[in-house]
Amino acid sequence: MSQQNTDEQTTSEQDAGDGGSPDPTDDEMLIQTDVSESVDETSGTRRRETVVRAEHVDVWYDDNQALSDITMEIPEQSVTAMVGPSGCGKSTFLRCINRMNDLIDSARVEGDLYLRGKNVYDDDVDPVALRRRVGMVFQKPNPFPKSIYDNVTYGLEIQDKGGDYDEIVERSLKRAALWDEVNDQLDESGLELSGGQQQRLCIARAIAPDPEVLLMDEPASALDPVATSQIEDLIEELARDYTVVIVTHNMQQAARISDQTAVFLTGGELVEFDDTQKIFENPESQRVEDYITGKFG
Amino acid sequence: MATGSSQIEDFGQVSRTVGTIFRYLILAATLFGIVVLAALLVYVANDALQPATADPGWYLTFFLTLVAPTALVGWAVHRRGPAAFTFGSFLVGLLVVSLMFSGGVGLLVVDVVPPLVGFSFAIAIAVPTAISVFLTRYSHRIGFTSRLSATAFVFYLSLFGLPGPIGSPIGVPQVVPSLARAIQSIPVIPVDWMMVGTVLGGIGGAVVGSYVAGVRDARTGLVAGGLAFAATLVSAVVGPFVGLNPVPSTVLTAVTVLPTATYAWRGAFTEERRPAGLGFAAVVVGGALVGAAATSTLGFAGPQSWVDWQFLTSAHSGSAENAGLYPAIGGSILLMATVAALSFPIGVGAAVYLEEYAPDNRLTRFVDVNISNLAGVPSVVYGLLGLGVFVTYLGQAAGTVIVGGATLALLILPIVIISSREAIRSVPSNMRQASYGMGATRWQTVKNVILPEAFPGILTGTILALGRAIGETAPLIMIAAPNVVFSLPTALESKVSAMPLQVYAWSSLFASEDFYTKAVPAGVVVLLAVLLAMNSIAIVLRNRFERTG
Repeated sequence: MSQQNTDEQTTSEQDAGDGGSPDPTDDEMLIQTDVSESVDETSGTRRRETVVRAEHVDVWYDDNQALSDITMEIPEQSVTAMVGPSGCGKSTFLRCINRMNDLIDSARVEGDLYLRGKNVYDDDVDPVALRRRVGMVFQKPNPFPKSIYDNVTYGLEIQDKGGDYDEIVERSLKRAALWDEVNDQLDESGLELSGGQQQRLCIARAIAPDPEVLLMDEPASALDPVATSQIEDLIEELARDYTVVIVTHNMQQAARISDQTAVFLTGGELVEFDDTQKIFENPESQRVEDYITGKFG
Repeated sequence: MATGSSQIEDFGQVSRTVGTIFRYLILAATLFGIVVLAALLVYVANDALQPATADPGWYLTFFLTLVAPTALVGWAVHRRGPAAFTFGSFLVGLLVVSLMFSGGVGLLVVDVVPPLVGFSFAIAIAVPTAISVFLTRYSHRIGFTSRLSATAFVFYLSLFGLPGPIGSPIGVPQVVPSLARAIQSIPVIPVDWMMVGTVLGGIGGAVVGSYVAGVRDARTGLVAGGLAFAATLVSAVVGPFVGLNPVPSTVLTAVTVLPTATYAWRGAFTEERRPAGLGFAAVVVGGALVGAAATSTLGFAGPQSWVDWQFLTSAHSGSAENAGLYPAIGGSILLMATVAALSFPIGVGAAVYLEEYAPDNRLTRFVDVNISNLAGVPSVVYGLLGLGVFVTYLGQAAGTVIVGGATLALLILPIVIISSREAIRSVPSNMRQASYGMGATRWQTVKNVILPEAFPGILTGTILALGRAIGETAPLIMIAAPNVVFSLPTALESKVSAMPLQVYAWSSLFASEDFYTKAVPAGVVVLLAVLLAMNSIAIVLRNRFERTG
């Protein structure tokens, strides 16, 4: 998956894949799994390991419960979409994964959320170190008022990572399908790009330090249809290397790009989580069917 | 929905009487304020500048050479492109303001800081700075703690030597002299203008170089910086041929010519391409010069204004005609430098803490309310505080630069904190989110995202606060700053006067018809001009901030 991560592998790989109880003596913050895939030779499909596993996660903002009893497993190298009406807690769940909710004073998270088998809400987890492994792209494009080059290298700078920055910038921008448009203006401000380009710059910035999971909070909702379809193509491309978790309002978008879909409904409950095809063609819950077919929500 | 069957005959009227009355009331309030203020300024300026004493021919000449061409060319340029006109006016404004600043810098260089001291300290700061920049470049290999201690050690060695002020109280003799001291003790020293030119040209070259590098590329920036440095030194040689001493001509080049020329280059010859604006500026400046030359050859006398060279360069005197403001101007400049050096780091630090770090609890809310209240405390109370704390309690001599500067710094500290907090708060929260989402620590977010974004706003607020400090009289009276000093302060411990204090002294201690009508208005006009120059910088910064933000 990534060079950086293979270098940092720990000795306790057996703990990882199955998401077993974390070893408190491990001095690594998160336990790495072996990135070499176990490929099922007969069928040709890969057995996907769980990257993020939520168990009975509840979130409160003061006294309002935003999420109740979320349990789900997100497999690696796939696109997992979260859909649901406004205020159903899907973004809140996304922000639980990299503990961005810590920045909101009133937010309180209960339950267990494992990333590669390590509970990210354990006391010994440094949220800053966690966020360095989990990239995030926000709803509104938010490049820094710095040059395009400096935007992409921001994650590397703050992590004090060495390496050939020129090469990483080129690689990240190519992956974000932005290189051809900006390769002659890397010194110009990221704010001078168009909205769609800014969002792809933000994606390049998020993937430059090679995270394990890429969280996307409605990354295309502020963009026009052309830019949206560019971002969608990009997400499918990125899922080859990364585990992508995307929140979206747009049913069609979820159907187009995701492998699994989680449907959240009002009250912060996860009503159904399954393969996208199944959710859209043959959902088990009547409420999910109503929501997807547009009867409410 | 509406069909043809129900036609609307009349929509009726909505009453706007109250709104109209309100509108004209607030217009009246606005006009009242502006007119009263303008009348006051005109009254004072008339007393100080005495425009009625000038020859009609003087006015006619300047009308023909300056006003008429400016209006004509300005109108033509503005019609072709308002941007070029704005650029041209900014260029003229920059020239005027930077001329005032070169006056201030010249005063410091000629009368306050001996060239050798300035030169040695500039080198003693530049060398460790270069070393620490070099260390930071290789920061991936050197740990933070060792880098910090190495930087601190190099600075200490360079400024104080070993063992320096730490060793002297326990009787350890100086083993290694500081770099500054070492330079001061070399037997052969360069002449004054070389040292002043090197320091000012070095600073000017660095600023010009980085500015040009930002507009174009690094190599052009390097060339421009080198050219600027060379120009400063060359000006010292050329200066005497046009009647300027070497040292003032280096100051003039570094502080006025370099920024103006760089700005002119940027506006006229880079991609902005507004040479018309350059033409407009040339017409204004050329018109003023031609007008001055023409009036002196034709023998038309200008106004007998009290604000003249003599007033700006001499000290107080018993007679109003010979009285001058020079020591007070210098005192105000030194006080402002002290105030800025004290209040800026403390104020910005407090603002960053309160905005980014402080938890939202009762204590911080209490502090919040109190900072707002402190901003409204009368300045005389701060004077009393300064007297009590610095003079009585800490035993400092009364009326010195350091005591006055510290008192005024306390006075504007709440304003600096409030405006810096405002600037920090206006950094969009999605930038913070982006930074935290990338895995930045709070410190990294503050350093890389928040402070760079908020900096213009912070600077604007600080400059406006300094504008308040420069006009303060009461705190200086309270700390027993002398009303009249006859020479510039040369150290932080020397007695200092300030412009508003000098004006106050003229209007109270030396109250006579002469002083009322001559020295006081002239002093007020100079004070206002300095204030306007400072505020103009704040306004330019704020405009740039708003355009990018």
